[in-house]
Amino acid sequence: MNLSRVSAVIAKEWAELVRDRLFLILAFFVPPGLMLVFGFGMNMDVENIPFVIVDYDRTPMSRDYAYRYIDSRYFDFKGYIINEHEIDTMIGRNDIRAAIIIPENFSKHLSDGRRVSVQTIIDGMIPLRAKITMGYVAAINGYFTREVLSNHLSRFLGKPPESVFGMLMPVDLEMRYMYNQGLKSVWSMAPKLIMLLLMMIPPLLTAVGVVREKERGSILNIYGSSVSRGEFLVGKVSPYIFIAMINGLVLWAMALWIFGAPFEGSMLFFLVALMIYAACTAGIGLLVSVFVSSQIAAIVVTMIVSLIPSMLYSGILIPLSSMGPAAQALAYLAPAMHFAKIVDGCFLKGVGPTVLWGPLLALGVYATVLFTLGYSLFTKRPKV
Amino acid sequence: MQSSLKTILYQMQVLTAKELIQLTRDVMLMIFVVWGFTMDIFVAGSGLKIELEDASYVVSDLDQSPSSRELIYRFKQPEFRLDGVEDNDAKLMSMLDHGTTMLVLSIPPKFGSDLAKGHNTSVQLLVDTTNSVLGSLAAGYAGQLVIEFAMSKAMEKMRMFTGSGRSMPGVDSAHIMWFNPNGVDKWFVPVTELMTMITMLSILLPAAAMVREKERGTVEQLLVSPLNPLQIMFPKVIAMTAVILVGVTISIFGVLQPIFHVPFRGSYVLFYVLTAIYVFSSAGFGLVISTITRNLAQVGLVVIMFLAPMLLLSGTWIPAEALPEVIQWLMLISPLHYFIDVVFGIMLKGVGLNVLWESVLGLVVLGTAVFTIGLLRFRRQFAV
Repeated sequence: MNLSRVSAVIAKEWAELVRDRLFLILAFFVPPGLMLVFGFGMNMDVENIPFVIVDYDRTPMSRDYAYRYIDSRYFDFKGYIINEHEIDTMIGRNDIRAAIIIPENFSKHLSDGRRVSVQTIIDGMIPLRAKITMGYVAAINGYFTREVLSNHLSRFLGKPPESVFGMLMPVDLEMRYMYNQGLKSVWSMAPKLIMLLLMMIPPLLTAVGVVREKERGSILNIYGSSVSRGEFLVGKVSPYIFIAMINGLVLWAMALWIFGAPFEGSMLFFLVALMIYAACTAGIGLLVSVFVSSQIAAIVVTMIVSLIPSMLYSGILIPLSSMGPAAQALAYLAPAMHFAKIVDGCFLKGVGPTVLWGPLLALGVYATVLFTLGYSLFTKRPKV
Repeated sequence: MQSSLKTILYQMQVLTAKELIQLTRDVMLMIFVVWGFTMDIFVAGSGLKIELEDASYVVSDLDQSPSSRELIYRFKQPEFRLDGVEDNDAKLMSMLDHGTTMLVLSIPPKFGSDLAKGHNTSVQLLVDTTNSVLGSLAAGYAGQLVIEFAMSKAMEKMRMFTGSGRSMPGVDSAHIMWFNPNGVDKWFVPVTELMTMITMLSILLPAAAMVREKERGTVEQLLVSPLNPLQIMFPKVIAMTAVILVGVTISIFGVLQPIFHVPFRGSYVLFYVLTAIYVFSSAGFGLVISTITRNLAQVGLVVIMFLAPMLLLSGTWIPAEALPEVIQWLMLISPLHYFIDVVFGIMLKGVGLNVLWESVLGLVVLGTAVFTIGLLRFRRQFAV
């Protein structure tokens, strides 16, 4: 490998990038821009569930019960309705996601010491949301039951309802949220966004960068020159790895200072991991570029093999533990998930190479395989 | 030159045919379009479930009494999976650090005897919340289990005072899930993935097809031909829409229905018409993008800039009502925001135009607006 030829290819590629002003702005502006949008915009919590109440009882107790939902930040009250049949169209139009039907004799039965059943109709279109809603309803019912019970039992026990209320819950659960005490979505999100955004953009830039030469025919200059294919590929890919690194660092700084995520781990280790990951992302683009001959195909293929999987299989939206075997295999095959582990470890857990050498090794192997494949499949003597 | 309607239509027909030929000759592109509409949806649909499943936990049981075992027994599948017993605190912490376990349940000594005596006691749960969604789901389920356990223990004691035959008041939850009665995730993920594919291709393909003409210079031929901007742009959109609708058909009848048994409760005709309108509206965005970019690398970046927020924030993976208001307003210009209601409405809810007209209106208005902007900018972009 002749270093002066490599640097010539780098210089040529870099000049091309820098002279395309819009491209340059986009390459450095899009990742931080998206980081801002997602960091501030993505709220994974299920809150403000729009709902209505049908109250067939209309007693002070049923109103008290209804207020448990109305006052909750998890629910967004859209009003009482008279007729149960309206629920059908309201859910159909997506005006509400749940409806609570308080039966007749709600307060009478409870005062008599009988159990009542409150019906909840939930829009099951999005199963996770429906299940979380069910959980909220069950929690409110549980708490209300405890209150009613303590009033009821206080007569037998001859103790005030408040102390019975305490006796009904003899086990206290001390919950400790590790690594992310405030359960902040942003904290857990911002570091992973680095992983996601680097998977979205550098592969595309690299793939299009190489295929552009094919499509325009300027690659013939390379075919006919003394530059070896290794030198060409290294020179071609380096500027994109550099761009990915800069983006990674900007995103890292944003996660730290704009989103306030704690960085507990070692900076050196993080930098090494970032470099290998950047090489992986560029390597994906390189491999795609070998197979396709048009830039349109390059864009579509990189989006399908890198952007969509990185959203779905990296654990950012969907927890890895609930993936089926095929999806888990895909997740482990893609570099995104390994880097996500490193990012989580460095940011929130404050663990270093002793714990994270596995994912780092996986990334290293991944990069090596990508570049070896790209190198052996790229040829200066194309058929046709 | 005054051309009759017949000529105009013929010209557009020829151009549409040209687009289709160009598109279908790109073998790699076609392979991946087909992959996107079939395998990609299959893998996502069969592998991904957004639920808490098999969350592994380790127990530190310092009590070893029937009561502590009863509590542990309640943490069972499908949500939780017992992954071992460990009393050493340092080892427990390192398990959390390595991510080999997600929860640690610690039961203190004398837990069972305290309960029997009627004293209040506490258990501790450490939850790994690096992923805040998963963490809060696990914490929620665990909290519910401990409350149920504690209530049942308390009631056992209360029965001693009240006599065993007495009925106790309480509120039961009777949930009814509509449109997806078993809460199966099998439907949600593949349908969402199908929408992702449609959206990606309908923005990208027209934009890329237009910019390629600019990049290669063939747009000059189009500009000197007797075609107006509408006649140049529309055939591209028609061709891409045709390809996408074929993909959708393959996907519905080849993957969604036979493999995932996704119901189709509404009208096929309405679905196809509205999907075509959606593709047109999204393609309008693609055309606007094509008027501000000069090469395909720029197209790729701008498309990602629009596409990534659209896919993540329109209300599929993340509930729209939980997002900040600014984002909710911004998403009113995302065609996907309206299309989600259309697809789920027709497929799962079986509703018709009478319910969906607002979404359809949104799509049409949006599509018309972006097309107009695209057309206005078309000529101007060459006035360098």
